[in-house]
Amino acid sequence: MATYSTNEFRSGLKLMIDGDPCAILDNEVVKPGKGQAFNRIKIRNLKTGRVVERTYKSGESVEAADVMDTDLQYLYNDGEQWHFMHPETFEQMAADKTAVGEAHLWLKEQDMCTVTLWNGNPLAVTPPNFVVLSVSDTDPGLKGDTSGGGGKPATLETGAVVQVPLFIAIGEDLKIDTRTGKYVSRAKD
Amino acid sequence: MGTGKDASKGDGYDAFRIDLWKPSASFEIIKLRAETLRQIRAFFDKNEVLEVDTPVLSCATVPDPFIESFQTRYLPLTQTMQTEEYYLHTSPEFPMKRLLASGSGSIYQISKVFRQGESGRKHNPEFTLLEWYRDGWDHHRLMSEINHLLLTVLSPYIELSETQFVSYADVFQSFCGINPHTVSKTELLACVEKLGLADVLEEHEHRDRFLELLFSHNIEPSLGIEQNQTGKKPCICFLYNYPASQASLAKTVMHNDQLIAERFEIFINGMELGNGFHELNDESEQRNRFANDNQDRKVMGLNEIPMDENFLQAVDHLPECAGVAIGIERLLMIMSQSKHINEVIAFPFERA
Repeated sequence: MATYSTNEFRSGLKLMIDGDPCAILDNEVVKPGKGQAFNRIKIRNLKTGRVVERTYKSGESVEAADVMDTDLQYLYNDGEQWHFMHPETFEQMAADKTAVGEAHLWLKEQDMCTVTLWNGNPLAVTPPNFVVLSVSDTDPGLKGDTSGGGGKPATLETGAVVQVPLFIAIGEDLKIDTRTGKYVSRAKD
Repeated sequence: MGTGKDASKGDGYDAFRIDLWKPSASFEIIKLRAETLRQIRAFFDKNEVLEVDTPVLSCATVPDPFIESFQTRYLPLTQTMQTEEYYLHTSPEFPMKRLLASGSGSIYQISKVFRQGESGRKHNPEFTLLEWYRDGWDHHRLMSEINHLLLTVLSPYIELSETQFVSYADVFQSFCGINPHTVSKTELLACVEKLGLADVLEEHEHRDRFLELLFSHNIEPSLGIEQNQTGKKPCICFLYNYPASQASLAKTVMHNDQLIAERFEIFINGMELGNGFHELNDESEQRNRFANDNQDRKVMGLNEIPMDENFLQAVDHLPECAGVAIGIERLLMIMSQSKHINEVIAFPFERA
């Protein structure tokens, strides 16, 4: 079992805490001039996304979490699972609903995604920062209105609903920022 | 070459890369350090406290189980002689007390000190300590001089509320609702559990560890901050009368039927700045404390530290005196409102 000592703590380090893989966001050494030192860490639970604080006596060791990020190509969804493939080894991998989470709104076939693996199994899926998706449904566009002043909802091919300018029509390709879930622009050819 | 960028700015960083060969402190703060040291020296000059210089390298060191010294080896030129172990000092306390015991009168020193493992937002393994001793004074008189010096140095840079003097017992009473001198282990366990710190220490550990845990998590962050209706304002806070078990090198006395240590610490804005004592001048008591420290080290699996006989033989000759050590980098952090100690050191550990 791999472990990390408190003096190896730094942000980004992955630890097993209460049976869940967690990532350190912040590490603070609390060391009085005289007396016991502590490491106070802020951690994100990689399964639930919750952020909590923990304190360890300096010098203690904590079990390491076998967590790594890999870039995989999204292939298809079979109704239950999302399938990904390594672009060089062609090894395939399936992620369930918990791992994919909100990312399913932005997954387009052939796109490269970051899949976080825990003990070799998908733990989380992060879509690219920007994706191009086509509009499957929206109210008819208003001719001549290119001001972008108003807005209307549009349903994209993945099922995601985003606010778009009034001039956008069905079938158009749009660039979306997946981190904010917001429309950026029309996709340029 | 000549891309139009102003290379003379030297702010330590460029947009995309941290150049480790450049200083992490700005020249503004490098100048602030020089100016602060100048002011401190002027203060002691005016008050007729003698500046002294004692060895950084010593054959013995402090046995405190929570302070680890850097160790190094002296290699004699003749190969028939054995190499000798030396330590880099963690504070100039022992040789300064040898000077006091020899009749130096009041003295001060500004020196680099070294502590293993202490690295982080408020720590650098090598740092600058201002240490001074007042011959014939007790710690209360020294606290008022420290207050005077800190106000002189800090006032041009930050606005401070009125200085606070509070006892260790008072802060534990008001923040945790316990008397730290008499509280039972059971109450301490309940108290740490209430704060979500239940698993940090094991039940069998010394009660001082629990007090240190409560102090560092629940009390220290609020010390040196005055809170009123208009908001928060920093102030100097002196915390005194520590438990006798945390006396370190301070005298202990009976106070309200309780044995307490005549020790104090200084806080500003939730950060410790220094530690001081009404100095213990009883050799046999000092030997006992060192022996206990070494015993604790053994239990913790740490190496035993050789007794500093040069220091121990001076202890009985030490006059009544009070002394304090203040971290210069912490002081500069307060003055410049820096979040990280690296902002006040030209080349911190990672760049050294």
